[in-house]
Amino acid sequence: MSEENRGLDSIVSHRFGRARYMIIVDVENGEVKNIKAELNPGGQAASGAGIKAVQKLVDEGVKAVVAGAFGPNAMTALENMGIKYYQLQGVTVKEALGKLSL
Amino acid sequence: MTLEIAVASGKGGVGKSTLASTIAIILSRHSKPIIAVDADAEAPNLHLIFGIKKWEVEEPYGEAMVAEIVQEKCTRCGRCAEVCPHGAIDFIDGRYVVNTVLCEGCVTCTLVCPVKGAIIRHKTIAGYIRQTMTTYGFPLISGRLPPGRPNSGKIVSEEKERARAMATQDSIIVVDSAAGIGCQVVSSLAGANMAILIVEPTPASFSDLRRVYTLTRHFMQPAALVINKYDINEDYVETIEAFARENNIDLLGKIPYDDNVPLSMAKMAPLIELYPDSPASKALIEIAEKVAWITEHWREWFMKYRPRKPMPYKPQIIKPPELGKA
Repeated sequence: MSEENRGLDSIVSHRFGRARYMIIVDVENGEVKNIKAELNPGGQAASGAGIKAVQKLVDEGVKAVVAGAFGPNAMTALENMGIKYYQLQGVTVKEALGKLSL
Repeated sequence: MTLEIAVASGKGGVGKSTLASTIAIILSRHSKPIIAVDADAEAPNLHLIFGIKKWEVEEPYGEAMVAEIVQEKCTRCGRCAEVCPHGAIDFIDGRYVVNTVLCEGCVTCTLVCPVKGAIIRHKTIAGYIRQTMTTYGFPLISGRLPPGRPNSGKIVSEEKERARAMATQDSIIVVDSAAGIGCQVVSSLAGANMAILIVEPTPASFSDLRRVYTLTRHFMQPAALVINKYDINEDYVETIEAFARENNIDLLGKIPYDDNVPLSMAKMAPLIELYPDSPASKALIEIAEKVAWITEHWREWFMKYRPRKPMPYKPQIIKPPELGKA
């Protein structure tokens, strides 16, 4: 999750539900294959931001997500949908992928 | 790194704003770049303590769009109601009507409507965010929500986002949360590096403290504690201190009950400015100095007080009984 859309150089957001963008990457054998940015519907939502964000992840077929903090509703939804979540902030998307060996 | 400190309590009226404002002022006297955020958009009062009479910037935020069906043009085909992702279009008395509370202005209805101009959109204002420089050399970001409107978590997120946009590497963002543990408070805590909790020695306050503490555990945040008005019930203070010890919460200090506190609030000025020698002032200043120390020795303090075990707060999901699968 990120507040900016600068590809792999985007800095990971300190929050999940209301982050501006989702930077979605496909990783195959440690290599980044595709990258795209989607607007996070949670960022615009009046309420239920975390849930809406998770719904979007599900729609996009995302398996794992990285952000600085996950609220209680978001966390429950992620677990129910079997999406892994990692708490990290202040690093770029590229660095996060490296740190997590994804 | 930019440090974000959230001040929370659970219970209202125990001293969050007094503590948050003192911390902001004292840290500022240490020449630290501060940004104060009033994260209570329903009943903001940090600006009252800072004696702010007008705002440099006051703007509506989160302008939402809401759809409206123009009945004279509507052919009652019902396509809008079928596609609305929020279930916000009702069929009432033979007419399709948009439920403005549920409508999120996504335009899906407008896209499928066969009649041009049958669905129009209005702007509604979700709330206001305002900002001004205080006379203490740092900015205050505050919010205001119209009564009964949703978005409380969102406006807090928005305020903090603005603070971060203004922050430099050395900035310290001091967030004064609302009371309770609702969306506003969750939003205030999310992303904070540390939480400073404040409690008074009463069962009600202690009970609320334990609830807000579970949120800090959810976010894996190190927590510090301040006991306010400690002399109203000194026996109970023991119980609270034991709780802090058991949970590795850094007890920063205790503040005595002091009539000058409400008096300074009535005069719309910080306690430590109006009555610097009053007992509460002295205690508050000592506590704020400790917070200054923490910001200067962040790594060390963080390593000592960070929670080791994740304790995510999982809301209980009540599932509807399984219907027979089609």
